Amino acid sequence: MRSLLATVLAAYLIAAIHSILAFINKRRSVQRVAEWATVAGFVLHTVALVVDWMIDGHYPLFFLRETLSFLAWALVAVYALVLYRYRAQAVGAFTMPLISVLVFIALLANPGPSDAPATLSAARLFPIHTTLVIFAYAAFFIVFMASVMYLLQERELRLKTFSAIFHRLPPLTTINELATSSAVVGLTLLTLGIATGMIWSWNRYGRFWHNDPKEIFAALTWLVYLVLIIYRSTAEWRGRRAAWLGVLGFALVLCTLFGTRLLGGYHKFGLILGF
Amino acid sequence: MSIILVGVNHKTAPVEIRERLAFSDEACADGLRRLVDGEIVREGLIVSTCNRVEILSATMTEQLETGAGRLAEFLDAAGRLPNGFLTNHLYRHTNDEAVRHLFRVASSLDSMVIGEPQVLGQVRHAYSVAVEAGTAGRILNRLVHHTFRVAKRVRNETGIAANAVSISYMAVELGKKIFDSLKGCAVLLVGAGEMAELSARHLVNAGASRVLIANRTEETARRLAAEFGADTVPFEQLDRALTEADVVICSTGAPTYVITELQARRSLGRRRNRPTCFIDISVPRNIDPAVGKVPNVFLFDIDDLESVITSNIREREREAERAELIVQSEVMQFQQSLRLMDVGPSIGALREKMQEVARAELLRQRKRLGALSTEQEAAIEALLLSTVNKISHPILNQIRRFYETTESDAPPPKDLLELDE
Repeated sequence: MRSLLATVLAAYLIAAIHSILAFINKRRSVQRVAEWATVAGFVLHTVALVVDWMIDGHYPLFFLRETLSFLAWALVAVYALVLYRYRAQAVGAFTMPLISVLVFIALLANPGPSDAPATLSAARLFPIHTTLVIFAYAAFFIVFMASVMYLLQERELRLKTFSAIFHRLPPLTTINELATSSAVVGLTLLTLGIATGMIWSWNRYGRFWHNDPKEIFAALTWLVYLVLIIYRSTAEWRGRRAAWLGVLGFALVLCTLFGTRLLGGYHKFGLILGF
Repeated sequence: MSIILVGVNHKTAPVEIRERLAFSDEACADGLRRLVDGEIVREGLIVSTCNRVEILSATMTEQLETGAGRLAEFLDAAGRLPNGFLTNHLYRHTNDEAVRHLFRVASSLDSMVIGEPQVLGQVRHAYSVAVEAGTAGRILNRLVHHTFRVAKRVRNETGIAANAVSISYMAVELGKKIFDSLKGCAVLLVGAGEMAELSARHLVNAGASRVLIANRTEETARRLAAEFGADTVPFEQLDRALTEADVVICSTGAPTYVITELQARRSLGRRRNRPTCFIDISVPRNIDPAVGKVPNVFLFDIDDLESVITSNIREREREAERAELIVQSEVMQFQQSLRLMDVGPSIGALREKMQEVARAELLRQRKRLGALSTEQEAAIEALLLSTVNKISHPILNQIRRFYETTESDAPPPKDLLELDE
């Protein structure tokens, strides 16, 4: 399945390069290439995941390689939604390169033994838990992207030095709305993800909470986004400060996702990066 | 056939001359009918705007010089000027250069303000006048339609019209950068100066739904309000109006600050932090610069606007360079399509003639073939025709290519092969 994933990577790279070119030059034809490459990459990626699932016999979201690939796939899906809903093409110039990097690392990563997770993923809830959490993280990434764009744009407006970037970024209120709705979607998914994880853990071990670093970080992340949404909805904290919170929240997401590999704990199943 | 363009524009002639030459629609149609005689000047079109008067025409290639002379005389006469008076102001372009010039004019590359959108409409209007006068023929029809396509391409593929280059339009650009769509936005004019009025007009055209006007002399405010369907606000109730407004344009003649930081903060609180865009086009400034430090408030004074406009003009100039490349390649394409226009039909006629010969031969020999079923007969005809087509295809292509690439006015292929006798 490596060759298929390599093709996916090629498509994403084309999309990334054209998104950046479109961002710099604002050419519609270039943007169109970027969008078609994204669609083609996404379709192939979906096929790759399904094939992985059938060959390995487990849901393709368990080992590090699978996790990265799945995360990239979720990001593309979320990015496509954003593009469709907000026509915010600028997002692609930031997102597609990252997605390409994720797929690239997935290609290099050790495929891992294919039978190990059989006992863990046997329960139906486990893949649901991981999928929900991955999509929550993808949504939080969009919040992060939107926050960064907001800060850049706001800075330009304040300094009155409109650089090339200024003309390419979407309007402030659009970015703001994008950040808010992504945060709401992300938090909903994360809540459901945490809940399913708890139920799964209860069924298997008889306890909800293991006090391991990943769980603590996840709880913190959950809290930050809850605060973000509450503040945004009461309009106390529009704009810059909310944007900084979006950046902070994503730092926590990264800690949850990768930090626990370094810290160890219950969520680390041997060689694998589980959830 | 050749294309000639003769005219004056803002770079070659002062306004005193341009205004004498300017054509009204009727004068334009009358003039065209007089000018286009069907012998020397075959087709004609006049573009007359405040920055340019140009005559575009098609003549036979041999009569190019005479035709150009006619056009110059025509312009002298139109301005009631002595013959030859305009010589120093006129420019004259022929063929490719004329095509390029028209493309550049319609794409707004030759305008005083690069990228201004009006000129394309003016060219379109000039064309419709020429069509009505019956002076736009085969060549000009094709040229003008190609011109529209080029202008559209330049507009879509470059950013020459992208960024605001006038103070009054900056309000729209800044508003769009903050509020996405201006639909549903409220605009507050503090002071009813001319510039504020113009800005408000642009904002309303861009979708702003509500205009409030606060002015010291209520008379002026009311007059302006009637024009916009706006509401007037007494100056004492400025705070209330600030709460409602998304875009505030300030242009009073007051010597002090009319809007203070405290006012801005309070109104923002009441707006539940919805962002506000303040534009201060008055000198001395009427909005305390400290207002710009309030979060979610964006303040622009006249200098900020000027500097943004300067950088926008530079951006347009950069984009114009890319537009020139598009024009260049389109001129070449037009050249080619013009040649094919002459050649295409004769090549079709050639092919038909050959098929005709084949059919005639079949008819002549038909008796010798004896009794044939309908299918057999059809098969023989198909065989003959496909043989003729297969043999002639590369030759016809060769001819077509020759006319596409050659620079000379070679005779059309029909005469060349003497098939018409």
